[in-house]
Amino acid sequence: MSLEELLESGTVPAKGDITEEELVKLFRKFRGLQKKQERDQAFWAATNENLKIAYEKLDEKERELARAYSIIQDDLSVANKIQRALLPEPSRKMVSELELAVYQKQLAEVGGDYYDFFNTCSDSYAIGVFDISGHGVSAALVMTYLKAQFMTILETLDSPKAIVEWVNNTSYDFLKTVKKYATVNFVVMNAVALRYVCGGGFGLLLSGKNRTVFEKRDAFLGLRRRSFHEYELPFKKGDLLAMYTDGMVEAQNDKGEDYSVQRLNELIVKNAKKPVQAILDHCMEDYTNFRSKDGDDITLLILRKKV
Amino acid sequence: MTKDNKGTKLVVFGATIQGFAQACINLNIVAGAKAENLIEDIEVAGWYPFEKLREIERVVVEAYENSGPILERVGMEMMLGWYKYGPGKEIVKNGVGFLHFQTGSQGYASVVKGPEDLVGSFNLEHLDEEGGKARIHSTTPFNKDMERGVIIGGMTAPGDLDYIDVKNEKNPQIFEIEFA
Repeated sequence: MSLEELLESGTVPAKGDITEEELVKLFRKFRGLQKKQERDQAFWAATNENLKIAYEKLDEKERELARAYSIIQDDLSVANKIQRALLPEPSRKMVSELELAVYQKQLAEVGGDYYDFFNTCSDSYAIGVFDISGHGVSAALVMTYLKAQFMTILETLDSPKAIVEWVNNTSYDFLKTVKKYATVNFVVMNAVALRYVCGGGFGLLLSGKNRTVFEKRDAFLGLRRRSFHEYELPFKKGDLLAMYTDGMVEAQNDKGEDYSVQRLNELIVKNAKKPVQAILDHCMEDYTNFRSKDGDDITLLILRKKV
Repeated sequence: MTKDNKGTKLVVFGATIQGFAQACINLNIVAGAKAENLIEDIEVAGWYPFEKLREIERVVVEAYENSGPILERVGMEMMLGWYKYGPGKEIVKNGVGFLHFQTGSQGYASVVKGPEDLVGSFNLEHLDEEGGKARIHSTTPFNKDMERGVIIGGMTAPGDLDYIDVKNEKNPQIFEIEFA
């Protein structure tokens, strides 16, 4: 039996089964295997060492990432508080004359939806609802910038058209530079009427049996240096005004259907006789049941002129 | 990468760079986009600055704390590829034939060109076929761990030798070879 046949059979050879020549060959094969094993061991030891170092580096990077994430989270948490603090509380006078409810939810810790209440220089109320492009910190920073612009100009101007045009002209270069824009839905109301400018966003006025949807003929803030259109509507005691951004109406259900302006407006009309907080709660409940997930910041503001 | 065929610079044959890079990829030393970058723009029949090979070698050396055994394995893998898929089988008929091929640096001269003082040599200085011993003297700019692997791989590839050992610990340029 040859050496190869013996090895193949697995039988332990008896004395005399292997020739001297085959024994030498066996010895060489064994040494060859020993050498190969030595080389393999050295290769795998180097590979294992490399893996160990790689894991250590990975661990360190993970710790660095965790530290960085924690710092960012802390900052965002503070930013969230600051942004919340920047949202307005209605004045006593406003509360005495208007029944008011607002829902706002930012997609991230901070966001780009923004609403505000102002008093104009002629002691009218002004309400603005804005949606700054994008989300997160950059949109929130633009929000603070716009708030400052509106607060400044409302000390001297009274007309929504003049106010929005001034803010647009003043902010245009800045918004271009930071590649942002913002929808603007701005209303000034006095004892008998409301005047509005609508460059994006949505508005619905219910006055008795009349239903008026805000005209949206104007561009967003920061898009163009153009004049804006102002509209005037009667605003009597008992009239209901809803203003909102696109976050709700563009949210989709599992079938890919939009919640839609029509659905929200119908719901507001259907519940119009209820207190504004109840109307808002109905809307949010319906929306929550409909949508598969939030895809954008959300703002819904509903107010009624008290009788 | 610009091809360089002139005699004033040290240049290396494209197939050698490809072989080296492919060996690294086969052994999972480099992967993904980095691996693709290694052999991007390398034509098998072209000549390229030696630095190109150094770049790939650096990838291995920088990645491993102890790169010696890795580069040795790369050299072996490279020669197995040369024998299996390249011209090796035509040139070398058995393990000892690989040693003969190094006589007068002929093997090395087929893959590296340039000024003599930069090219160096990879020359079979001594061969005792009966005793199973040989010596190769290398003054090439190649990594010596990888060259050790090249000798082991080149002699192993034909499959006729039972035992091969190559040592160069005392003098990295002198490869003492034992085989049977």
